[in-house]
Amino acid sequence: MATSTYLSNPLVTVNSVDLTDQCSAANLTRVIEALESTSFGKTARVYVGGLENSTLTLTMYNSFAATETYATLAALVGTSTTVTIKPTSAATSATNPVSTLTGCYLETLPIVNASLGSLDTVDVVFTGGVYSVATS
Amino acid sequence: MTYVIASSKVGVIGQPFIVAEGVNVAALLEGGFIVEQSTPKPKKPAKTSTDTNEEI
Repeated sequence: MATSTYLSNPLVTVNSVDLTDQCSAANLTRVIEALESTSFGKTARVYVGGLENSTLTLTMYNSFAATETYATLAALVGTSTTVTIKPTSAATSATNPVSTLTGCYLETLPIVNASLGSLDTVDVVFTGGVYSVATS
Repeated sequence: MTYVIASSKVGVIGQPFIVAEGVNVAALLEGGFIVEQSTPKPKKPAKTSTDTNEEI
């Protein structure tokens, strides 16, 4: 039985910046909003597809060093950008597809998530945009 | 306006940065990932005086 195992080399870019070495978890969910179209005479609710509203949540180590996490994200709050993720850093292929959210929105940026004796990590959520997947 | 990569997080430093669809260039500039490279203006041709009056 085949499974996808994410070990050490997925590739994550935010606004064209490679943040793989600052990212420890990623959760990309494609969402097509459900619009209810149930009418008289139906005995169960039915839906049609509405607007796409996908989300990508990244768990990142918070680094204020030059060209790291904070420098990448600080100017993106309240704007749209493009994020990509693929299972490994190898060449894009059918078994290593690259998923892209083009024009997704960054609404909030946690600045500090401090806890004694722990690394500062932040969860960053990108919402909306157009989802696409490339295999070559 | 063209851009040059200034951080290895974006690509090879010194190479031209090709702006992909949806990329926020202002954020990259602010974060110091890329720098602007202004396109040099073409030099004006040297002024030469030409005598268009033909002496008879």
